This record gives sequence, structure tokens and C-alpha cells, in this order.
Amino acid sequence: MTTKLPKRTVVFVGGGLTAALTSRQLTAKGVDVVVLERGGDLRESAAAKIPSQRDELRWGVQNRLAQDWAVETYTLRHTASDVSLPVRRMEAFLPGEGMGGAANHWNGQTWRWSEYDPVLRTRLESRYGKKAIPASMTLQDWGVTYAEMEPYHDLFERLFGIAGKAGNIKGEIQPGGNPFEAPRSREYPQPPLEITEAGQIFKAAAQQLGFKPFPMPAGNSTGAYTNPDGMKLAPCQYCGHCERFLCEANAKASPQVLLYPMLLQRPGFELRLYSHVLGINYDRAAKRAIAVRYLDLQTGEEYEQPADVVVVAAFPMTSTKLLLHDRIGEPYDPRTGKGVVGRNFCYQVTSSVPAFYKDRWINPFMAAGSSQTVVDEFNVDNFDHSGLGFFGGGYIYTATTNGRPIVSRLVPSGTPRWGSKWKQANADWYAHAFNFSVHGSNYPHRENYLDLDPDYRDAYGQPLLRMTYNFKDNDYRMSEYLTNKAHEIAAASGATMVGAPAPRRGDFDPGIYQTTHVTGGTIMGADPKTSVVSPHLQHWDAENLFVVGASVYPHNSGYNPTGPLAALALRLGDDLLDYSGRPRRL
Amino acid sequence: MSGQGNSRRIFLKQVAGASGALAAVVTAGAAAAAPAIETPAGYESLSPEEAAFVEAMVNVMCPADGLTPNGVDCGLAEYIDRQLAGGFGHGDRLYRSGPWRSGKPQLGYQLPLTPEQFFKGGIGAAQTACTRRFSKRFEELASADADAFLQEVAAGKIADAKVPLGQWFNGLVYPLFVQACFADPIYGGNHAKVFWKLIGYPGLPAVHSQNMTAFRGKAFPGALDPKSIQDFS
Repeated sequence: MTTKLPKRTVVFVGGGLTAALTSRQLTAKGVDVVVLERGGDLRESAAAKIPSQRDELRWGVQNRLAQDWAVETYTLRHTASDVSLPVRRMEAFLPGEGMGGAANHWNGQTWRWSEYDPVLRTRLESRYGKKAIPASMTLQDWGVTYAEMEPYHDLFERLFGIAGKAGNIKGEIQPGGNPFEAPRSREYPQPPLEITEAGQIFKAAAQQLGFKPFPMPAGNSTGAYTNPDGMKLAPCQYCGHCERFLCEANAKASPQVLLYPMLLQRPGFELRLYSHVLGINYDRAAKRAIAVRYLDLQTGEEYEQPADVVVVAAFPMTSTKLLLHDRIGEPYDPRTGKGVVGRNFCYQVTSSVPAFYKDRWINPFMAAGSSQTVVDEFNVDNFDHSGLGFFGGGYIYTATTNGRPIVSRLVPSGTPRWGSKWKQANADWYAHAFNFSVHGSNYPHRENYLDLDPDYRDAYGQPLLRMTYNFKDNDYRMSEYLTNKAHEIAAASGATMVGAPAPRRGDFDPGIYQTTHVTGGTIMGADPKTSVVSPHLQHWDAENLFVVGASVYPHNSGYNPTGPLAALALRLGDDLLDYSGRPRRL
Repeated sequence: MSGQGNSRRIFLKQVAGASGALAAVVTAGAAAAAPAIETPAGYESLSPEEAAFVEAMVNVMCPADGLTPNGVDCGLAEYIDRQLAGGFGHGDRLYRSGPWRSGKPQLGYQLPLTPEQFFKGGIGAAQTACTRRFSKRFEELASADADAFLQEVAAGKIADAKVPLGQWFNGLVYPLFVQACFADPIYGGNHAKVFWKLIGYPGLPAVHSQNMTAFRGKAFPGALDPKSIQDFS
């Protein structure tokens, strides 16, 4: 039944951003690599060509670049005492399929997290006292420092041609940038995107309140750009079709544009498309990963790919599911707090304040995925949390990424949902409104975790991953505080009307998109009792098994997750070069 | 009608391809005879009774006024019919394995019916409730009564022994209505880009790198004459 293939040096599960970045480091030194990706190559597909690329219904609403929920979804229960149900049509987040994965259909918002994010527990304890963090908030340091990651952040920004304005170069605060930025070695490789009209309004209001607005760091290319590998980006057209879409102009920094075409030319690199990974063969006695089992979707044949090194590089949900399925590492048990796999599953907590300007043309359809203006004063621990009753925060920004008309229309509250008044409100405000939004953190809670569902299965007969997850008091309080701050800025912006602050309330609803950023499940750390992988992303129970991606984040910050996971993936590439020369615990 | 325009264009392309010299002559004839090659009217999924409900509903939700023609003339019923008849209606990208359980509203749709079946089950339940209340079918109501009835359905105030009408309307019917208005006209709704013109969405090609600065904070002329996928096909 299963065909056993000849052994390879490194096999990757998942052909997305992290696999490509790690492979880049490995194949540069001639290490043999094979990547297993469940989807196809979409570069010549309708998703990447005009006019079909601009089809909001197909890509933006029906999400046809995201995982097919008919094949595999997740189940949810809000507490361990609820019965789980499958999320039959998931909207909350958007795992990708195809060469390049979810980083093809991303918006391009590219952050380095705060300098103290990897040492967040230490930071909060030193600032607020040893007892300040509630026992239920299972924050932990990552075991890696920002300083160790900085060269890899720098390399990733060069590879992806990130457009932005530095706020902190080697400790020197830079005018026009983010004053809270972690110190960087040099300026961004490209200047920022053009500011939108919404950005102008936001900037003036924020400055009036004494904040320091700056342009969102962008994976949308401001000009023609050639990266250190000789791969090219074209200038962004501000078409407003970024997240959930592929970029037909090759202007969005993505793995299918910048990484895989380069890797496919390298000797020793092999990409196997339409290869759905079913599991990892694990030798429990020897504590080694032996091979990856996968189904060739084009033939229906099952294969076993042995390798010296196995790297799990899928979307956080899939990486966690695979380790749970083959029981590599002890599953987390929320009753005892023991076990590790599935622990610290986090999402993010967002909210918005709409503002309307009768005499200003916002023209929301002229925008890029990252053409936003931002303030960072209320993110993470950039402000004093004493007496606030919560930790964490978020950035506040003009959420102007697009004016796609099915979804991106703002009307004043009280507008009927249909009829002539509804039409009139859309006519009046479509081009004259935008959101002041909060992109907020979500810190781990001991009751939030992932395991395998006992009842529901995917199209391949495997158990679905189960989320036991809900927002907690910390999240509601953070959202209320941040949403009020966003409202203050909106109220200072000269708007005709400002919506009431609507912080996140109620139970987690997977039918509502907030951010596509789920984290945790296979978290990193210095202590095997509380982490799945080491600070070098090496599995504690299998020396030759590594996990990379946002599943290794011990918490979710108020920033988009791509920057650190890319830096960790590049660093893993260098670690694996070291490891493959001399296999050992790193 | 977008369907009519499309058929005519394809016809002309074929004629022009066959003989350039003949094309001018035949073009005039084809334009005059256009109604004869119009896409046949009719629904793929909806029965006449179901269509009567949907047509009445979209005409209430999108009445003819100074902003747009009525919902049927905007193609809204056609859009809904085509979605129900196609992949979406048959459960494309929807997880459809048991066990079947009911749960909190945040868990969303949890029935074994396809969206097409659920849509039609809801029409039946709404008609039953409507007839009980008004002694008339929905399509026979005065528009003010029909509007008030839909408001009650949307608010979850109309009970049915089996069909959760609030979820039916808010989770299935209303999203289809909004898509019918604002999706690209190739899907059958938003005839002649009427809703894009209404709000000033310029559509394709959306190549705005120069416009970003030239029209920052200004009215964008392209919004007056939107272009859709058909214009670039």
C-alpha cells in the first residue's frame, strides 16, 4: 500500500513561507531538501491573472485561496465543559493552500515585535512585580532574544523588499518612524508606501494628541526592487486586492514570487505539490522522527519519505495536529497544567471605530494591503499597565486596505439593513468613511488549548483539530481600553460623525474575521516541561524533528506575526546547517 | 441585461472572425435582431413559487427608486438563483459530516441540508408564517407589510417549528442579497454595475499607483463609469 521512498536529508511538511526561508539557507550550502505541499502552483491560475484576480466574490468572500473547509475544518468549544462542534464554514482565519501557502494571500504588514516580546514574562515581572501576572495567564519567555533574531529580521526585510520608515536605528530614534520600534541595524530597504487620504486625517489627529504616527511596514513594493537573490518585485498598483488575493503585478512580497522560483532553480531542492501529509513516523524508543507519510493527491497513492531531519512548517493548526496525531510530545492537559502539545493557543482581539467625513474623499479602493498609518503608543507594554487590570495592547491604525464593495462599506449606525435609505447611506458614505481600528494582542490562558476532536474527522479520515478557546477578562479589558483610545483619535479628526466605541465583547465567533493570526500549540521555550520545542526549534522529544512557524510563539502580540516567524525560519536554516554537519541537541 | 450583451458580443466576435468584410453588414442586422438571441429567461434552481417569493423579497429590499431599478431588474433574483444552483448552493467548501448537533449561535450553521435546501426550506417556513399572519402569500403583500415581515424574520421574531428563520435570513439570505448587489455583474446581479455606480466603486482595472497621489482626497472620475470583468474579457 505505502511506497517507501529513498531517504533524503531534510523533508519539510508544508510549502509555505517558513519552509522556503529555511530551505533558502540550506540549499545555499548544497543541503538536499524536499518540501511536501498539499496544494498546487497558482502562478498561472485565475487567481493571479487579470481580470479574474479582481473578483471579490470568488477570492474575497468565498475565500477560494484558503483551506477547503469541506475537506478539513476545526471544531470549537468555548470551555472544556461544552460539547465541540465543527466550524462548518470558517471565517476567523485563512490557512492557505498551494506553493507559498498563506503568505501569498497576505496583506504584507511586516512587523518586528517589541524588543521585550521574547522576554515578556521577565519584562512584566520586573516592571509590575513577581505576582502581577495572574496564574491563569501562562506567559513564558521564548528562550531567544531579539538581539539574536535581529540579523535575520534584517535579512528577511531585504529578501522581501519591505517598505517602511525606521523608528530606531541602533538606539537612535528616527523622526517619522515608530519610536517604540526595537533597535534595527539599518533603514528599511524601500521607502514607505504613499499615504492615503485616511492616513493624512489619522496622522493629523494623532499628532494633535501628541502621538507619533508612522507608515505601516509593508510587503507591498513601493518601486521596482531586486532582492539579494536577484528576485524582483514590481511597484504596487494600490488596487485594493491584497489579503485573500494573489498579486497579479508581482508587487506583493510573497513566497511564490520571491522564494520558490529561486529555490526551484537550485540543485538539491525538490518541491512535491499535491502532497497531503498524513503523519510523521516516530520511533518512540530512539526518540527520532523517521519519515513523513503523505498522500499524493494526483494519484491517490500513499508514500513514506524517510529523512535525516524532519521540519514541520505548516500553518499553526496543522503543525499542532500532526504532533498530536502521532503523539510526539505530551498533549497538554488544562486540568493539571501538564503536557505541552496544544498549549498556549492564541488568536488576536480587534475592534474598530468608524468615522465619516462628508467633505473628504477617502476613496477606499485606492489602497494596498499595508497602506496604513499607525500609532504604537498603546501596544504590548509600551504604556504603563499599573492599575489597568490587564496586560497587552495593540496598535491603532487606519484600516484602509481596500474598497471592495461587497464587504468594505461603512454606513452610520442606525442605517436600515436594506431599502432606499440603506442604498442612500451607501451612496453617501462609501467613499467618505474609514475605520480607526485596533489590532490587539491575545495572551495565553491555561484554559485555551488545542487537542484532537473525539468525534469529527476530515476527508482523509483523520480527527479534526479541536479548539477549546474563548476570550477572557484580560482580552475584554484590553479591548475596551484600546477601543476608547482609537475613539479619542477619531473624535479629534474633524469627522462629521464618529461611531461609538465597540470593543470586543461576547464569545469567540469563528464566523467573524478578525485577523488570520493564530499562534501557539507547539510553543518554544527553555523548559521542556512547558514547551514543545527548544529555543532552536528542536523538538524536546525528537532531536531530529524541528517545528517552525507561528505555532512556536508562546503568546500572541499586538503585531502581525510574519516578521518574527520569518526571522526564526531563517535562523533555523543556519541552525540546521550546523546540525546536519554534526547532529546533536542544539 | 448583462446576459444579452454578452451573447451579442460573442456573436459579433464569431462573425468578425469569419469574415471582416461581411461583419459590418451583419453587425447592423444582429443589433436589430438582438432580442432573438437573448439568453432565455428562467431560473436554474427556483420553482415558479419559490421565484415569486425571492422576486418579491428583492423588490422589497431593493425597491425601484431614484437610486436603482427594482431588485429583479438589478438581477438580484437571478444572482440568488445562480448561487443556489451552483457550487455554493450544493455545499461547496462547507464541512458536511456528522454527527449533527445544535449549539451556540457562534458555532454557526449546523444542519445537514445544503444551502440550496436550507434556502428553500426557509421560503416554505416563511410562507407558512406569512399566510398565518396575513392570510396572504408573501408576494401578495403590500410592500410595507412585506418589509415589516422581513424585519421580524431578521429579528428572529418569526418562529417555525423546524426552520430557524432568524439564522436562515441573517446567515444565508442576507449575505446573498448583499453579494447580489455588489458582486461583479458576471454572476448575474448588479446589472449594468448599477450598485457600483450608486456608491462610486470604479471596479477594474484598479491600477491606481498614479491615482493615489493625483486623486488623493479628490473625487475619482473613474467612479462614474465603473468597469467590470466582462469589460476586460
